[in-house]
Amino acid sequence: MKFRDGIGIAWRSLTGHRLRSALTTVGIVIGIATVIIFASFGTSVQTDIVGEFEDTAASEIIIVTGDVGLDPSSGGDGGPPPSADELGNIALPGITVHDLDQLSQIDGVRSVIPRGSIDASSVSYQNETRPQSVIATTPAALPEENFVSGGPFEQGDSGEIVLSETAANEFEGDVGVNDTVVIDYGNSKENFTVVGIISQARGGLNVFGSFSAEVYVPTDPYYREYGNTVESPSQGVEQAAYRQVTVVAEPNQVSETRDRIERYFEEESDAGQVVEEGVTVQSTAAIVDGIESVLNDVIQLVSGIGILALLVGAFGIANIMLVSVTERTKEIGIMKANGAHNREVMGLFLAESTLLGLAGAVVGIPVGLIVGFGAAAYAEVGFTVPFGWIAVATAMGITTGIVAGLYPAWRAARVDPIDALRYE
Amino acid sequence: MGTSDAETVVSLDGVRKEYDLGGTVTALDGVTLDFEPGSYSAVMGPSGSGKSTLLNLVGALDTPTDGDVVVAGRNIPTLSESERVALRGTRIGFIFQTFNLMPRLTAEENVALPLLFAEWERSRRRERARSLLDDVGLGDRIDHLPQELSGGQRQRVAIARALASDPDLILADEPTGNVDTETGEGIMRLLEDANDRGNAIILVTHERRIAEHADRIIHITDGVVEGIESIEQTTPEPLQ
Repeated sequence: MKFRDGIGIAWRSLTGHRLRSALTTVGIVIGIATVIIFASFGTSVQTDIVGEFEDTAASEIIIVTGDVGLDPSSGGDGGPPPSADELGNIALPGITVHDLDQLSQIDGVRSVIPRGSIDASSVSYQNETRPQSVIATTPAALPEENFVSGGPFEQGDSGEIVLSETAANEFEGDVGVNDTVVIDYGNSKENFTVVGIISQARGGLNVFGSFSAEVYVPTDPYYREYGNTVESPSQGVEQAAYRQVTVVAEPNQVSETRDRIERYFEEESDAGQVVEEGVTVQSTAAIVDGIESVLNDVIQLVSGIGILALLVGAFGIANIMLVSVTERTKEIGIMKANGAHNREVMGLFLAESTLLGLAGAVVGIPVGLIVGFGAAAYAEVGFTVPFGWIAVATAMGITTGIVAGLYPAWRAARVDPIDALRYE
Repeated sequence: MGTSDAETVVSLDGVRKEYDLGGTVTALDGVTLDFEPGSYSAVMGPSGSGKSTLLNLVGALDTPTDGDVVVAGRNIPTLSESERVALRGTRIGFIFQTFNLMPRLTAEENVALPLLFAEWERSRRRERARSLLDDVGLGDRIDHLPQELSGGQRQRVAIARALASDPDLILADEPTGNVDTETGEGIMRLLEDANDRGNAIILVTHERRIAEHADRIIHITDGVVEGIESIEQTTPEPLQ
């Protein structure tokens, strides 16, 4: 029997019992749809997060004191990387002003952005006081294109401050450019003029979209006054020391620059001598890779739930095919009496179960895409069609059909034609 | 064997068939028979006499416990399962009492079934099936499913299917058992037509009236050939 004829007969058998075939396929539809829903939603979230991070920080190299796992994939619990605040708690200050100068002279370094927490208890606007993080950094951390309004501060004792959009929104009253906020250092207070509201500053580690409520002041003079200092081993003088520094590298030299920075910290830096564990140097590209890796694992895990539904669907197909073999025993006898080989009988039943699996995939994939699209819209992330997973789901549907049909088809092929022709 | 392969379409020599049904049951015991090409033979006997077993062996659906069953020059016991299937599909046509049509295939597709397994091209299959359905008077029923046909029409479809691959041998098992007398006579005329065109026919029946359409009647009792009776055929008078 020719392949096309076999498919035609199998199709005729399935459409002869439309309702039964449709109900049998439901299990596969649910399984395939589940896989596609999780895969499309996961891929959409992944693309959204990674895309957002890559746009702004693809060429950043983050240096923190201590032996810190910045790569999410290397974390013991597979969780997200530590936030800036968490870093502040676990890393010792040790990257000195001397180190910053040396870093800025390394080949491939475009700018060096120190980042340090100011010892302040709260920030007030009008009559409202909020416990917000006060970060000392440089104008390089505040790119013009990220400003919602206003612009960066100037270094020096200017009394200028920049608020993150999240921080500005936390105050009941609308904080705007030229408004005055007050930083409480505990034993003294200082007025600052808001010069800009920024959506996202460089040098942070919060890569999951919601950016912290932070306010930014110039390192000079505020970090020198209210931050941490250590004695620079190379200079022999007390210098401001940071826990975290971000280096913006030339975009095409990120990994080479990272190697040079690592060498500097291993061989001659202050931080290498001040902090026992040394420093951790990590490019954001590697962090993004790590995030992608974690999200891939998560997608694969949750998509595994779909495999369970597929398994249930496979049993449904196997059950119905076994019923079908029994019901059609006489037909098997007729075919064998008229010259059907065992392999052809087996092929017919396998074709039926495969078509059921394929039908499950054909229906399940669009259902999964539609629900996945809805979920992505609800979560306000851009929808990404997971083409790879669609191919995988199609293959899974077909494979499920084949595997589920193997035993019933084998039973059909072994039916004795004499018994089958007598069967009523 | 009584005669050479060239002179017989079926030859049974000392055929014995036993079944294990709790104890050993002998269905055929030392049967030796020859069927010539183009011959028309009827097999009669009471229930359980071994008629169906004989038909299954000659139809390559089963193998003997002992002895030779040579069909179209091939000795059934020496053939593989695949070779027996090929023999059934190309050299033997079956007609059953219960018609045994595929319920989801049309009359045309049922007739073309042996040709489907013989891998004929679709267009050739259709042409052959339509021609045969015309021959049995069902040219206007080609797209009907079996359930849309009467008993007599179904049996005519089954006859057309048996003739599809122009076999050397047609095996008919009680072909008129499920139709009324008048329809049965029509079925018998179609078998005679097939026989006139050179197809050898072995017909199993309980009814002497039906068996007398053949050239000879083989009487079987308890798995043993009791006798072979020649029937003198007279040309029927044309209908007035």
